[in-house]
Amino acid sequence: MIGDLITGYGFWNPLIWIIVMATGLLFAWLIWRCGESGYDKGTEQTKPYLSGNDEPPKSDVHIRGGNMYWGFTHALKGYYDKLIPLHSGVVNDYLTWFVIGVIVIFVVVMVI
Amino acid sequence: MNIILSAIGGTIVLAIIGIAVGLFLSGIDRRIVARMQARIGPPLRQPFTDVKKLLTKQSIVPANAIPWLFNLMPIAALASSIAVLMYLPFGSLAPILGEAGDMILVLYLLIVPSLALVIGGFASGSPYATVGAQREMVSMIAYELPLAISVVIIAWRLMAANVADPFSFMTLMETSVWDVAGPLGIVGLLLLLFLFMWITPGELSKVPFDSPEAETELAGGILAEYSGRNLGLFSLAQAVKMVGIIAFGVIILLPWNLSPVFGMTGAGAAVIDLVFFFVKVIVVSILSVTVVRTMMARLRITQVVKVYWFVFGGIGIAAIILLMLDAFLMGGV
Repeated sequence: MIGDLITGYGFWNPLIWIIVMATGLLFAWLIWRCGESGYDKGTEQTKPYLSGNDEPPKSDVHIRGGNMYWGFTHALKGYYDKLIPLHSGVVNDYLTWFVIGVIVIFVVVMVI
Repeated sequence: MNIILSAIGGTIVLAIIGIAVGLFLSGIDRRIVARMQARIGPPLRQPFTDVKKLLTKQSIVPANAIPWLFNLMPIAALASSIAVLMYLPFGSLAPILGEAGDMILVLYLLIVPSLALVIGGFASGSPYATVGAQREMVSMIAYELPLAISVVIIAWRLMAANVADPFSFMTLMETSVWDVAGPLGIVGLLLLLFLFMWITPGELSKVPFDSPEAETELAGGILAEYSGRNLGLFSLAQAVKMVGIIAFGVIILLPWNLSPVFGMTGAGAAVIDLVFFFVKVIVVSILSVTVVRTMMARLRITQVVKVYWFVFGGIGIAAIILLMLDAFLMGGV
């Protein structure tokens, strides 16, 4: 079939996927169009819902990039506590880790 | 040309069927939860009524939102949920696009509705929704590990048994992994079945893995600012995704059909297999979603990660070891 991508084990056809998605988007948009579109702009109802509290400054409530994966990093705290100090910012350290990594991969591939 | 027409026509037909079956499943879920809590519960058609009513309600776009992204994401979520169904076989009916995508593609497609939710949550500019979106992302990272393990090891076991195209759904229709596995492999597959039962509520953000929505804590979290037709479309997307993920689990781990038992062929076989397929979907939905959400409380997001990575990840690795040993003992490798 035209456009087939075959990896050796897996396969897919992005062109067909695009056609399916386009049809799905059109179908979903038609349902969306059937719905009520109006609302009272510029009134209380457009304020973010915060259980009746005033909205704090955005800088206080927005999640920053560094906290994006909080929950994951906190659950694996033991791992990250060991990993983060290894990121010293010194190129020599990174090269050493790279060489160690290559040796480990070499041993795994060649010996095992 | 034929495949393009099949893609367009199939998408529309499966969209209608997926929405109908998904909302019906939601109705069964709500009814059984109510009965388990000694309530009468809503009628089975209640989810249909809810969506119909949502379409008549105002669809408010919050002042802080990015309007085009906020409105686009419910549409994208529904479209991508429908796309999943196009690649799945139903009973003995071959997938409409079985030759245009495999299990790996479905794995990726299952992520898209969740990503749409995340983007929609961030685009709403609400603190509750932002926290919910952040949690949804972390949940996705958490449950993808055991899900990927389940799919890859099943394909690997088929490959070890010299089955060609192990990731293809057409292959799965012809060769069940249970048929090629020995005793150790069957234990491993039972572990994977158990695993899949716990991945399903995570994929659907159902209790105990509903921290992205967390009504009592985040007032709906990721969906806090969604209303009217936008919320209605997310409800439809969730319903269709429910059919997709449960059907996916049934196809890879409960692949049996009834027609061979009765020696049936032709259209009769297709119908009885289709009915049996949806019975399996309903049973799995009740066991892995309804019963679980009735008997458990919400886990914290850190607990969700620990459970999926350490407990279910560990079970997945045990299943890998058992299936690999099985392949060696059966002489496939």
